[in-house]
Amino acid sequence: MNNSKQKNNSAIIMTLLKGRTLIVLGILVVFFSIATPTFLTTSSLLLIAKHVALYGILGIGMTYVIITGGIDLSVGAIVGLGGMIAGGLINEGLTLKMFGVTVYFSVPAIVIITMICGALIGILNGLVITKFNVAPFIATLGMMYVARGFAMLRSNGATFSNLTGKEGLGNTGFEFFGRNIGGIPVGAIILLIIAVIAAILLKKTSFGWHILAIGGNEKAAKLSGVKVNKVKILVYMFSGICAAIVGIITASQLVAAHPASGESWEMNAIAATVLGGTSMSGGVGTIGGTIIGAFVIGVINDGLVMCGVSEFWQMVIKGLVIVFAVVIDQFQRNLQAKMALQSRNENS
Amino acid sequence: MKKFKKLMAGFMVAALMGTMLVGCGSKGADKAEEPAATESTEETTDNAEAETPAEEPTAALTGGGTNLIYIITPSHSNPFFKTEAEAAAAKAQELGYEVKTVSHDDDPTKQAELFDTAISEKAAAIICDNAGSDATVAAVQKARDNNIPTFLIDREINESGIAISQIVANNYQGAKAVAEVFVEAMGEAGKYAELLGKESDTNAGVRSSAFHEVIDQYPDMELVATQTANWEQAEAYTKMETIIQSNPDIKGVICGNDTMAMGAAAAIKAAGLKDIAIIGVDGSDDVRDEIKAGNITATALQQAALIAEMAVQQADDYLKNGTTGLDEKQLVDCVVITKENADQLSAFRYK
Repeated sequence: MNNSKQKNNSAIIMTLLKGRTLIVLGILVVFFSIATPTFLTTSSLLLIAKHVALYGILGIGMTYVIITGGIDLSVGAIVGLGGMIAGGLINEGLTLKMFGVTVYFSVPAIVIITMICGALIGILNGLVITKFNVAPFIATLGMMYVARGFAMLRSNGATFSNLTGKEGLGNTGFEFFGRNIGGIPVGAIILLIIAVIAAILLKKTSFGWHILAIGGNEKAAKLSGVKVNKVKILVYMFSGICAAIVGIITASQLVAAHPASGESWEMNAIAATVLGGTSMSGGVGTIGGTIIGAFVIGVINDGLVMCGVSEFWQMVIKGLVIVFAVVIDQFQRNLQAKMALQSRNENS
Repeated sequence: MKKFKKLMAGFMVAALMGTMLVGCGSKGADKAEEPAATESTEETTDNAEAETPAEEPTAALTGGGTNLIYIITPSHSNPFFKTEAEAAAAKAQELGYEVKTVSHDDDPTKQAELFDTAISEKAAAIICDNAGSDATVAAVQKARDNNIPTFLIDREINESGIAISQIVANNYQGAKAVAEVFVEAMGEAGKYAELLGKESDTNAGVRSSAFHEVIDQYPDMELVATQTANWEQAEAYTKMETIIQSNPDIKGVICGNDTMAMGAAAAIKAAGLKDIAIIGVDGSDDVRDEIKAGNITATALQQAALIAEMAVQQADDYLKNGTTGLDEKQLVDCVVITKENADQLSAFRYK
């Protein structure tokens, strides 16, 4: 009798722990709604969604990477480089020296080129990690500097401003990604699309299963026929593409591309991922969790600005929330292990 | 164990709420610290005359022996420092020197290494936009000990008598002058917001308090939000959007630099607001174009090219005559750029 009651209690705590990030998000929303009257309005929430889109998209790529047991520190730099590639193509075009001509691309073509560049950087990350057996932390740290350096080199450090394109060159319309469609920010729509695709890939396809398997036990995955290297390269490629997309969105919002933009954004992406319950040791994680994690950070950021709290407190609070999330994560794991043990004992 | 878990969950929530409350309450406390920073810049003009002659009796430095001038600045990713380095290099070459241009990326350690390199290469003089007012003192002293004179531009160090010249833009005067334009554009009344630079940077405090010295004289000007955007465009953009969200009736924004003014202008455009007064400080070409287009009201130009050239000229005078004939600390006034004179500005140079 006593035993079953205890088990029941554990189950309740378990459910609470599983939904912890959502609970934190709920508390934050309630808190800010009371603190500032303008917080709980449609336009505020849409604005938060617009801001969340940036590191939310980075977080989705990061989630895949972290589930495989890796990390991608280069995404912030790829954001900067992506913006510079897109901005450069709009303002200066592509000069082919051997033919002595300058080619201007349309905006959709520029977006695709930028995404391909992001993918290539990601593939390079993956190759260095798998073929040369370099720790992901080191490989992507190196790539962070390389990509940032190239972003600076692209314009010699200057900003590409006024990225509106020219009618005559047929490359107008880049501002689209910073605009709203029917009141909804384009960035948020892109976040939603990528999130849905990424969640389906992770849950419903063998590719997703392989990602989880590699993170759970790489050797076992390899022995059961998973092409570990190929999957890992694809995962870093995906992260690179996500980062390039964020580069496009942020350049489009500012109508300007600065080579230093995206600096330390990888940290927000990692934070969103971890808050969302993805384990840094790999094997566990969901896209939905990461999105909720990204919203927690977004609500903290924007809510505190609306409150008029200084940046320094914003940092302190963000840091505390992240660490608490991981502490709770560990409790959940221990509890889960204990419950599993308990039921095994009862069965035997 | 079970109780402990419950306790932890409760504790987490409590701590979270606690920090929030503390955070929200501290709005006023942060602002009190700012004014202190201003005075040091103001005093510099007076100190200079008194101190320089007293330190001078030691024999003049003659340089390391070569004909090489080392130009050490922060990263050229900021066009301001790029102009500064290029103007100094051009002037030095014109005067017949060899030039090496390097960047310390705002890292005092890297800067110290660059000074060591300059010393080992026996440079004739060092022109430096330094990486920290305290951290730089030792490096300049080391150059001095090796008979190499240093000429500081754009930012001062916290010690006089070590460098030969310290030539800086008068941030205080510039920010005050541009704030006057702001008040006029606002019609001396209305709600406005402020985007601060990196709060650990002296200039952020100097500019902010100079702004307020002017604006606070007008009782109908109401500051509704203050946020740090760390001198960054993307951060200024998101912060400004959020500020507009809670203050849709805002009429003006004061920004600690031009990059943030660009971000604020983009956010205001995105929000569909019109006739908002925006000011910055620096005088970048991007902001000049926005001023011409009517999106930004004014900026204070720090004459980076002029300051760099002055430093090189003084280095040349000093190496030839053993003295610059000028005070160590020199302030160069900023020029207010508005729609009327925007055409005269190009690459941090006012014609």
